[in-house]
Amino acid sequence: MQRNENLGRERILTRIRSALVSPTRLRNAGPSGQIFASIADPLERFRKECAANSTECLVTADIAASTAAVSEILESIPLGEIFLQDAPLLRRAAAGWTTGRDIRWSSEGRPNEATKATITLAESLVAATGSVFVSAGCGGRGASIVAPVHIVVATVTQLAADLATAFEWLRARGTTTRNSMVSLITGPSRTGDIEKIIVLGAHGPQRLVVVLALHDE
Amino acid sequence: MSEAAQEFLRQAVRKSADLTHQQIIRRATQQSGQRPGKASFHDWEAARQRCYEIKSEALGHLDHYLLEFERKIQERGGQVFWAENAEEARRYITGIAEARGVHVVTKSKSMVAEEIQLTPALEKIGIKVFETDLGEFIVQLRHEPPYHLVTPAMHLTRTDIAALFKEKLEGVDGDDPEQLVAAARRALRRAFFSSEMSITGANFLVADAGMVAITTNEGNAELGMNLSKIHLVLTGIEKIVPHLDDLAILWPVLATAGTGQPVTCYNTLVGGPRAPHETDGPDEFHVVLLDNGRSELLADVEQREVLNCIRCGACLNVCPIFRTVGGHTYGTTYQGPIGSVLTPHLRGLHEFQHLSYASSLCGACTDVCPVKIGLHHHLLHNRRNAVSAGERPWSERIGFKVWRWAMMGSRRFALLSRLALSALRLMYRCGAEGTRLDPLRAWTKARAAPDIPKHSFRHMWRRESAEK
Repeated sequence: MQRNENLGRERILTRIRSALVSPTRLRNAGPSGQIFASIADPLERFRKECAANSTECLVTADIAASTAAVSEILESIPLGEIFLQDAPLLRRAAAGWTTGRDIRWSSEGRPNEATKATITLAESLVAATGSVFVSAGCGGRGASIVAPVHIVVATVTQLAADLATAFEWLRARGTTTRNSMVSLITGPSRTGDIEKIIVLGAHGPQRLVVVLALHDE
Repeated sequence: MSEAAQEFLRQAVRKSADLTHQQIIRRATQQSGQRPGKASFHDWEAARQRCYEIKSEALGHLDHYLLEFERKIQERGGQVFWAENAEEARRYITGIAEARGVHVVTKSKSMVAEEIQLTPALEKIGIKVFETDLGEFIVQLRHEPPYHLVTPAMHLTRTDIAALFKEKLEGVDGDDPEQLVAAARRALRRAFFSSEMSITGANFLVADAGMVAITTNEGNAELGMNLSKIHLVLTGIEKIVPHLDDLAILWPVLATAGTGQPVTCYNTLVGGPRAPHETDGPDEFHVVLLDNGRSELLADVEQREVLNCIRCGACLNVCPIFRTVGGHTYGTTYQGPIGSVLTPHLRGLHEFQHLSYASSLCGACTDVCPVKIGLHHHLLHNRRNAVSAGERPWSERIGFKVWRWAMMGSRRFALLSRLALSALRLMYRCGAEGTRLDPLRAWTKARAAPDIPKHSFRHMWRRESAEK
């Protein structure tokens, strides 16, 4: 129905097709070698990039240690409700906390306006840029953006050396097909719109914390 | 001279004499250096070449990739509308807003929305529109257009912004950037949580994934699109790229060229409304694909590559003209070298051909362009097109005819230059320097004329040769 009403569609396509009757002459005027430097130690690089983009990166021995680390981070956050991705790993983790805070699980809907922190898993991490790939599957579409603090719980097996590898993983796992939203997050929200001075926490989180376990268990 | 050209000249004179303005812009454009980002590249030139190839491939099969993109968006339950011009795009968007009873729209930065003058159209039907990018929010409060593609409030100091916020927002005290950002955040958070519709632009449309890629540092597009019931993407047809993996290079290149970051904070891919198994997200997802002159530019094989532009703003930051006259002087949606090249195609050669001359042809824009648009060559192409379309003044046409005739014979040339110099000397002796009678007035009205040499080069050459 939409298509029938949209008379411009055929006209635009016709104009494009007649424009492309004359093909583009490609200038072959540039080098075509390796674009990014290769990465010897992804973990080391990830930590370095996190430091540069103001992501707090905590490396722990295992998931149990990560759970304890998250509990400790929560101590530093003002009282109020926190929001967790409803995943078995985080259910187990939260069972061991004694924060006394209200917990809202992602299965109950998106975080509230007043949520103090969100805790989610990630699709993958990217060493080259010190970034986190999240999707709608990581606690919903609002989970990574609504609260002032976003804590990501991940393991080192999720660390891709570079963006190209991370995209390969997204494709292979069907992440972009399954989710209506996928987001590469590199550090806390920021703006440089006032005299080019960087201020963190523009609209999204002011703090982005990655708790990275070296072992899966 | 067109109205727009006269206004350009008036503003350029005013701005180039405004030393405070100069200082602000020089500092801001210098800080937009690309260093931190560039350090993450092994070979920046190879990256530029690759981006040029990606965009050329996309534009070379534009119909194919747009249809692939459309099909995938529809499969996820999104709607795609093709708008031939600004009017059609505005009508579609205001139509949806009216039909759904929208009161508040949160908008993230979109140059295409500026291009089609979307906000006034929404306001006319009683909708409150909030610009949510901080820079855009600031210029919206000042009722001004954006000053720069990437940094809309580049021309303002924190003192200006503090004064503005004190007048328009609550709880603002002092001019500390952190407090100013916090004040804007508080004001806009109310808007985010009450808005029914979010309108964003797009940085790339990914054909094979059927997703729209949106880049922000603030997270404003993400907050808007995930909280509203309706997400509408307004974008140009040229934003398409073939493959998801193309972003592995385009994202870092866009960030490096635009702000010098290795990669921007938020690079978000969105392909539809909330899927049935998802817990949140909008109920409706629309993509408006705007032509508005782009398909005609595509038909121009010589200038087709102008559509490669990823709107990073790098050419503005290095342009000596932009850095002197500033963004508002252009009187166009797109400023700087890319604006000077593009605007005559979007809004008419007659009205905007003067911008092709707002260049020293130094080529800094061409060198810095991450998708290898030969910007200063295109300024020359536009000049040539203006001449062949008879858009230049008769005095210039006659001048060039005389010059051409003189250049065709060495005697004519010698005779004419001697006559011209003598005439000029006589005029200056009578005090005509810098007056309306002075043929060099464009230069001499604000500067002293150089001394007129006694002898011509030919004369000196002959004398030197004879002495040997």
